[in-house]
Amino acid sequence: MPRQISLGDEALSERLAQPVWDLPVRLCHWLLAGLIGFSWWSVKNHHTDWHIWSGCAILTLLIFRLLWGFFGSSTARWSSFIRGPRAMVEQLRGRWIGIGHNPLGALSVVVLFLAVAIQVALGLIAEDEDGLYTGPLYRLVSIDTSDKARDIHELWFKVILVLSVLHVAAIVFYRLRGRHLTKPMITGRAVLDPGLAPMRPGKWWVALICLAAAFGIVRWVIAGAPPFTP
Amino acid sequence: MRIAFLVPLASLVLLAGCGGPETSQANNAQANISNEARPADSAAASNLEARLSLGDAKKVMHVRHEGMEAIGKSFKMLRREFDSASPSMPTVRASASQIARLSKRASAWFPAGTGPETGKTGAKPEIWQNQRDFAAKLLAFQKAAFVMNAAASGQDVSAMKARYADLGGACKACHDKYRSEMKH
Repeated sequence: MPRQISLGDEALSERLAQPVWDLPVRLCHWLLAGLIGFSWWSVKNHHTDWHIWSGCAILTLLIFRLLWGFFGSSTARWSSFIRGPRAMVEQLRGRWIGIGHNPLGALSVVVLFLAVAIQVALGLIAEDEDGLYTGPLYRLVSIDTSDKARDIHELWFKVILVLSVLHVAAIVFYRLRGRHLTKPMITGRAVLDPGLAPMRPGKWWVALICLAAAFGIVRWVIAGAPPFTP
Repeated sequence: MRIAFLVPLASLVLLAGCGGPETSQANNAQANISNEARPADSAAASNLEARLSLGDAKKVMHVRHEGMEAIGKSFKMLRREFDSASPSMPTVRASASQIARLSKRASAWFPAGTGPETGKTGAKPEIWQNQRDFAAKLLAFQKAAFVMNAAASGQDVSAMKARYADLGGACKACHDKYRSEMKH
């Protein structure tokens, strides 16, 4: 791993910093973190209705992020950071240089994304123990399946928890080795290794189209995905 | 001890009052509970604990669990019907009457000594610490189940949906306070 050289001068590094993460990526990241926490809190405190809305918001984020991974900035694109195992080995040997997600980080992004997507899918068809609250697509499955989905939904949270802990542990690990990952995810900028080109931004109107598409799909899901529900 | 008698009594009174006057009767029954059960609260618990053998307590807990599951299942069936464009009335009626029938039995499901100290259960110890409040909530559930069942025998679907929502509220009011998370 290339070690970031600390310039020891905040103002100078601020000036040398270049774009790494665009606003949609950062917003998706922090909103997702916040909403996962809120989902956990709300369902633990008998606010199952808020929990379901939070899940719908997460679904919106996931769909937007999926689309932005095809039409967004260079570092947002799936094609720019999904790499094979060889790249990961190279990275472990300290021979990886680049901006955006490194190969192992990208693996963690994809796994976290899938884990949250599975959690949302389970929530969509789940119903609570009493049948008081239901995911918007619960009628697509039987009562037993819906109850089973809730049980797995509860268990699956542990998977998300483990992945989140790993995610934070990796950030702490990098921090101890002198690399700051949190600040660029807030400001969007970092001092790059020499010879690296900064992020190529996406277009704001493309982001709006992706967002509109995500909202549209989620509204359709909330309506019970007609005409698939009887 | 008195509560254990009063609750089925109250629900009987309730069921006798088919139609309009059930509200006032339920209120009377609740008033009876709060007036008479007050001094007996702690005595009632120790009394019953002495009588209920471990085997009996476990039996009650098992019956309670199965009964609650069955109520939940029927409630879920109601939900599915009311969420569909054309609810099946036979299913609605069968589910509503099943809930009303089981709700009456629920009066006998919470004797002292059937809490988490005896075995795995979602019943919180608070049930036996706030017996008056719990009995009132149980009664509210029985009343809501009865009224739902009455509505289901009619033809007015929107009235059924309203009673069904009230019934759900009665479940939630009690569960939020007196049920812990239980994995089974």
